[in-house]
Amino acid sequence: MEKKQEINESKLGYADPQVDDLLKHSIRTQLESLLKSKLTTSQRLQLLQKSFVEAITLVLNDTKVEHQQLTKAFEAMYDQAVQSMALAELSQEVLTRQYISATGLIMSVQNCKHTIKDVYRIQGYARGIDQAIAGKLQNSPSITILYPACGPFAPLLLPLLSYYKDSKSYTPDQIQVILVDVQPGAVLSLQQLVKDLQLEDYISQIAEADATEFVPDTGIDLLVLEAMQHGFTKEGQLSIAKHLVKFLNIDGWMIPQNVSIRGMMVIGETEFNQQWKQVDYSHSMNMSSEAQQDRIELGELLKINKSTLLEMQELELQDGIKVIPANQIVLPTDVADMSKRIFAVYAHIETFAQEGVGQYDSGITHPRPDTSVYIDLKPKDIEHTHFVANSGDTVQFYYQLSGLPGFVPVKV
Amino acid sequence: MQRFALFTGSCQSIPAIQYLHHYSKLACVVLVDAEPTPDLAQLQYWLQQSGIPTISYNKRDDGALIAKLDELAVNRGLVYMFRHKFRSKLIQYFNGYLMNIHPSPLPEYRGPYPLYWQLRNGEEATKITLHQVSESIDCGDIATQIDVPIHPFDTMNCLQQKVSQALPQLVDTLCRLDEQQILNWRKQADQAEKTAPAVEPQQFIVNWYKQSAKQVVDMARAGNVDSGCAIFAVGQDQFQLLQASKVDCQLNGIQSGTVLELDRHRGLIIKTIDGAVRLDVIGTQQGLFDGYRFATLFGLEAGMTLSGR
Repeated sequence: MEKKQEINESKLGYADPQVDDLLKHSIRTQLESLLKSKLTTSQRLQLLQKSFVEAITLVLNDTKVEHQQLTKAFEAMYDQAVQSMALAELSQEVLTRQYISATGLIMSVQNCKHTIKDVYRIQGYARGIDQAIAGKLQNSPSITILYPACGPFAPLLLPLLSYYKDSKSYTPDQIQVILVDVQPGAVLSLQQLVKDLQLEDYISQIAEADATEFVPDTGIDLLVLEAMQHGFTKEGQLSIAKHLVKFLNIDGWMIPQNVSIRGMMVIGETEFNQQWKQVDYSHSMNMSSEAQQDRIELGELLKINKSTLLEMQELELQDGIKVIPANQIVLPTDVADMSKRIFAVYAHIETFAQEGVGQYDSGITHPRPDTSVYIDLKPKDIEHTHFVANSGDTVQFYYQLSGLPGFVPVKV
Repeated sequence: MQRFALFTGSCQSIPAIQYLHHYSKLACVVLVDAEPTPDLAQLQYWLQQSGIPTISYNKRDDGALIAKLDELAVNRGLVYMFRHKFRSKLIQYFNGYLMNIHPSPLPEYRGPYPLYWQLRNGEEATKITLHQVSESIDCGDIATQIDVPIHPFDTMNCLQQKVSQALPQLVDTLCRLDEQQILNWRKQADQAEKTAPAVEPQQFIVNWYKQSAKQVVDMARAGNVDSGCAIFAVGQDQFQLLQASKVDCQLNGIQSGTVLELDRHRGLIIKTIDGAVRLDVIGTQQGLFDGYRFATLFGLEAGMTLSGR
């Protein structure tokens, strides 16, 4: 095994055709670094494992860690992970294919690889998952975790498993993980990374499957759901959750435990520009109180947890599109500058036990402006995609389960 | 005896000129009064090399031209790709034998861009019409028509070439009927369903909210020529769409103009109101690209929506 990997690595040059040209272009720094360092296979694996353990050690730490230290550790983890991906010798076809499926956007493997650098998403999830695992293992000798649409690096679990292995916290007898992704390139990358991290014993299955159709052959104790983009749009998060929640054991938990999707009316300049001018990076801790006070919160549009998913009813419209009725809101009447505001949707994610991912902490919780919604204002050219309403109107929201899921407002 | 003057400004007329020259029916070629284009320059060079007499048309005065035509004993006039409106004096000179070749089944597609609009409207066949030149453009009585099939992949240049190659057959028919004195002029209907006007700049832009997949495909091939390209917008930037293909799409609830797929083999696929199209060939300032390479270089991702219009 080691001999084959040495052969692969010896071919791994900047101009080497074994690594696809596009991947080579996008990770040339990491590839050059790998070549220059002239590491043996075991040294490279050590560095990879170390980077995963160090990153997750920092986020599990209860004392505050500086942002720069965190980003540096996550960059190191990314650098090592993409070197492993290069060894999987993905073709350009599997690396770059991206499409809209019947239930949501399927991102390319090439684009998904960056998720492992999303520090505060991984922090919020890893800390929650860590506590959930501890809680589960108090009452059970072993648990099964399902991580659908996990991407090429399964970033919410593989770093955590590396940490458990290194710290000998939990053995493979206690934790078994099923990884699922529909992209063949993600599966190839995962196989390489799991092997490089020497985590094979923790992984019971790496399945190439559509998560909205995958049927696990065992009961699931923890279901880790990540596939989403800002504003709870585009990806098939809800379809995946609705399908897989059925396979949770009766006492099984979904992580995140709660997702609250809320609407607000904001002055775009204040919300998305001014409040970030004086801070180093966007994060819920760095939000300006002035900007927050300037918001007009409209309330919760949809709440997603195990209970709401189990009772969620789909409606099928005439054209075959399925929707889920979400909440009604009444547009406030006492806002003088309503016509200058834009509608935005954001998600608050509670992963587990007070842990979470706040607004602006991650791409998935970044508020998403929706410029097709006009309140107290009429667009110059009305398109069928525009929604026009006035202060005082009651608006019923639906969540559309199409190839590009998202909220659809309807005036009551 | 038939003595023709052929009025033209394009090499597309060469097969007709060759036919008339070969049968010693050509007196001269009357060339357009316009700034020289490569097409016109090439035609002039070819005429010179072939020893064919030429006369330059004068937009302001027909007197000298008529005198010259008379001197050459010209009694038939044939017009193709000439782009000047004839005055009554010249029309009268030919006494009903100044004839225009219009590449459409007249009265449909009257106007300066018949082939463009027929391609854009997805017509499967056209006719080349020979009709009398009258004061009203493209409205004179019809002598004869010949059929020209349109291949689904034909571009503007393909179709122009097909029409050009069919001209000898049309001219031959005219000459035979004329010689046998059985030319039967029939009147055109006044009204037509479709016209072929000059194209407004806005009409070159793909409107994803209104156009079907086939309409986008046909618009691209109609404009797949040096000018008149279909344009689509990505944000503030505009690109030329030179070729597109219709593809199946079963997805519901997706806004038209949305990028549905990006794949090395399947290409760049965009939602339309009734299905989807693959953008096969795209022109940019940086060169021509297939959809996949264009999307990769210009940062298009699945789920993005192109500007509607």
